[in-house]
Amino acid sequence: MAIDRKHLGRRYGPFRFEVGREHLRDFVAVTGMGVPGRVSGAPPTGAHPWTWDDAAAAASPHGGLVAPPSYAACFAIEPFAAACTDAALGIDVVRLVHGEQAFEWFGPIRPGDVLTTTGEITSLRERGPLDFVEVTTTSSNQRGEAVVRGVWTAVVRSGGFLGVLLKARRLLGEDR
Amino acid sequence: MKTLRDFAVGQTFQTSRTVDRYRPIYYAAASGDFNPIHIDPRVGRMAGLGGAILQGMCTYAWLTDACAGYFDDPVRVRKLRARFVKPVKPGDTVTFTGRCAAIEGSTVRVELEVRNQDGVEVLERATAEGLIEEER
Repeated sequence: MAIDRKHLGRRYGPFRFEVGREHLRDFVAVTGMGVPGRVSGAPPTGAHPWTWDDAAAAASPHGGLVAPPSYAACFAIEPFAAACTDAALGIDVVRLVHGEQAFEWFGPIRPGDVLTTTGEITSLRERGPLDFVEVTTTSSNQRGEAVVRGVWTAVVRSGGFLGVLLKARRLLGEDR
Repeated sequence: MKTLRDFAVGQTFQTSRTVDRYRPIYYAAASGDFNPIHIDPRVGRMAGLGGAILQGMCTYAWLTDACAGYFDDPVRVRKLRARFVKPVKPGDTVTFTGRCAAIEGSTVRVELEVRNQDGVEVLERATAEGLIEEER
């Protein structure tokens, strides 16, 4: 079942996100193949030092820690998540996968930044049994400077046998 | 730190990451993506995936890190796009191979291939741009 095209242009947000130093370092620990947290944490060995090592970051051209570009996944995702779970769109999230992702970054994100993200459904397409939902997000910092733009594409398999099967499995599954 | 002169069309770079058993749980904690398909192997099996799968955005983070390494500064990564085509699971080793495709002014464009240990492409049509500003 196609998603009604009247939802094109539907907006989500603003969502506020304050960049915390410890959260940022935890994110870098995870993506840099360390372990997050302050209990059994381990430092990232595969991350750029300017994203977690205070001394190295202080000596860098940025003068302090900067977020890795992928940190956008923590905050810029909110309008996309809101759209995917929006009752008005009626998407069954079990049949949804993240199909494509594009980002454009405009400048550094640092601990202490207060980011505001808004998003809009910018494309609704149907191809065979698949629906494509595209949400474009814009995140700005406390100075009103755009820091990242994201284009998030979800692919939703429509009803049919597979959808019914998945739904039945979910309803009958041992965890439910 | 690299300058624009250090970049040349045809240069290649490569990184790889092996997904340990807990990586999807760590990524859930850091990113907030607690979709059970990533943290509960039973839910992954119910979805026909044979177990839990890693968040696509974690693989995508490794892709950006590969670019940040080549550009020699995370803030130089200015554009990135990729399609998620195959799941990545604990135990998999994902290799990111980049190639400098073009240099236009201060912009360095790269194309990347992202494959698992079986040579299967897990992210498709991965391209990135770095902005290499000489003065700061």
